[in-house]
Amino acid sequence: MKVLNTRLITPRLCGLLLLIALPMVSLLGLMTGPVFISLADILSITLSGNGGNSQEKLIIEIIRLPRVILSLLVGSLLATCGALLQGLFRNPLADPALIGVSAGASVGASLVIVFGSMLTANGLLLGLSAISVGAFAGAIITSVIIFRLATSPQGTSVATMLLAGIAISALAGAATNTLSYLADNDMLRRISLWQMGNLQGASWDRVGLCAVTAGFLGLLIPREARALNAILLGESEARHLGVNVEWLKRRLIIYSALGVAISVAVAGVIAFVGLMVPHVIRLLVGPDHRALLPLSALAGAILLVAADALARVVIPPAELPVGVVTALLGAPFFLWLLVVQRRRT
Amino acid sequence: MLKINSVGLTISAVPLLNNIIIDCPRGSVTALMGPNGAGKTSLLKVISGEHKASQGEVEINRQSREDWKPAEIAQFMAVLPQSSTLEFSFTSEEVVALGRTPHATGTVRDAEIITAALAKVDASYLAQRSFVQLSGGEKQRVQLARVLAQIWDHCECEGDASTDGILLLDEPSAAFDLAHQLMLIEIVQQISARGVTVVMVMHDLNLAAKCADQMVFMNCGHCTAVGTVSELLTPELIKKVFSVDAEVITHPVQGTPMVVV
Repeated sequence: MKVLNTRLITPRLCGLLLLIALPMVSLLGLMTGPVFISLADILSITLSGNGGNSQEKLIIEIIRLPRVILSLLVGSLLATCGALLQGLFRNPLADPALIGVSAGASVGASLVIVFGSMLTANGLLLGLSAISVGAFAGAIITSVIIFRLATSPQGTSVATMLLAGIAISALAGAATNTLSYLADNDMLRRISLWQMGNLQGASWDRVGLCAVTAGFLGLLIPREARALNAILLGESEARHLGVNVEWLKRRLIIYSALGVAISVAVAGVIAFVGLMVPHVIRLLVGPDHRALLPLSALAGAILLVAADALARVVIPPAELPVGVVTALLGAPFFLWLLVVQRRRT
Repeated sequence: MLKINSVGLTISAVPLLNNIIIDCPRGSVTALMGPNGAGKTSLLKVISGEHKASQGEVEINRQSREDWKPAEIAQFMAVLPQSSTLEFSFTSEEVVALGRTPHATGTVRDAEIITAALAKVDASYLAQRSFVQLSGGEKQRVQLARVLAQIWDHCECEGDASTDGILLLDEPSAAFDLAHQLMLIEIVQQISARGVTVVMVMHDLNLAAKCADQMVFMNCGHCTAVGTVSELLTPELIKKVFSVDAEVITHPVQGTPMVVV
């Protein structure tokens, strides 16, 4: 039996397909919603700044365009950070939830929801609500705790980090549950909706914040691609290939904590994107991070925009939380891909 | 090229190595031998920089191990570990390509080296196969190709590199069939003739006898004996180090010493 290539498509083809899909899905995201706006109107509004009627123009400029761009940015951040963590843990099943970042963010957000009414809950910071700030703080604090726990004079133990992440997640889950228990009905609803993720709060301020983060990470992360490939062989093997493993681990943890914390702050917990997107791309084109990182960013963006568009039209005039849709869309596709992969080998 | 100067290693109050002194000149082949837990792999890890020596020091190219930057040393020293745990389905070719990580020689040159390295370990037919699906011996051959690719210029082109190569092998032949064990010996002889210094942990005394310039018998973290193959392969020393009664005879054709148990 001679198996030639186990890959489904080449990275180039995959990139091309994603680059074609990205504008199409984005336009779809601009068109759909409680008020349908035609493609011609969208093009004239976004390209020339006039056309359509004034109501449509307002919807596009204030609601849909920032929302679509925010989805693009959050989707690519989550997918890229998922790919980084999977590489760092040398485990294709790692995701941001695994190292407790999402759970920590939930505690932060719940704290603000439950006790925030005593504070000035309406104060905004860089377009972020107090809930977002709480989520960001929770995510960063848990990342630091887990990193500290796993670091000894001998270096950072990835295995300890994983275990600490699971324990901290459980602890944070208990804290969130306690807060939910203390909460009244309205607070409870807000906590659980926040945990399902949504992009309703999109604004140009949030887009700016996310764009700066994504731009910063987008410049730094691709430089780590070769080192990430080497670390897949094992930490000592990577060291023998000249990689300064300790510093690499630190940088990767900082990048992913920052990326996940920002996306959680602006959009709540959106499950599955960070786990699934890199996994799917890896099944399609292989584990080489030089292709995996940019392709994951593209695919994550597309998935989240598509999921968000769907979330707006499934049960009009209400919206489904986007985290529910990513899981509903993603999980069957993921399972299908697993079956296809198994048949091929 | 490689000097182990009175190296001792203590981890968590357990002494693993004690006053090890070995000198490996340029282009020599040193076989580290001894029973399980003798400290062979620990010594290899001190040389490769994974453990820091508690006493003494390792000297590489007349410079202390500590003074070399990881990126510098990876240019000329490669390490083949006992086993690998790669969970991601790289093709064999991509695994070998990882050996070129320390170098910036460009994709064209790298592709040539990768093809040649796979051919050298009789694994060309595995190039496009997924590494995780290979058998133990096939994996180890691909990993051998990876470390050869890392120091390829030192293995194949004599003299034009600024530093000679060093290759550390930890039980490289454990998973190999007979033909590939002999292939390994041939590769080791070839690259040492080009100036690469080889240090390898081996269990098969006869296989080591075929290519080692220097044998080191280790026991309980000590160097029991260092010398040439014919000096060390004696029934008395083998009894002392391995607690095995053995006869040493001469190979009827090649004239090398052979251990028979």
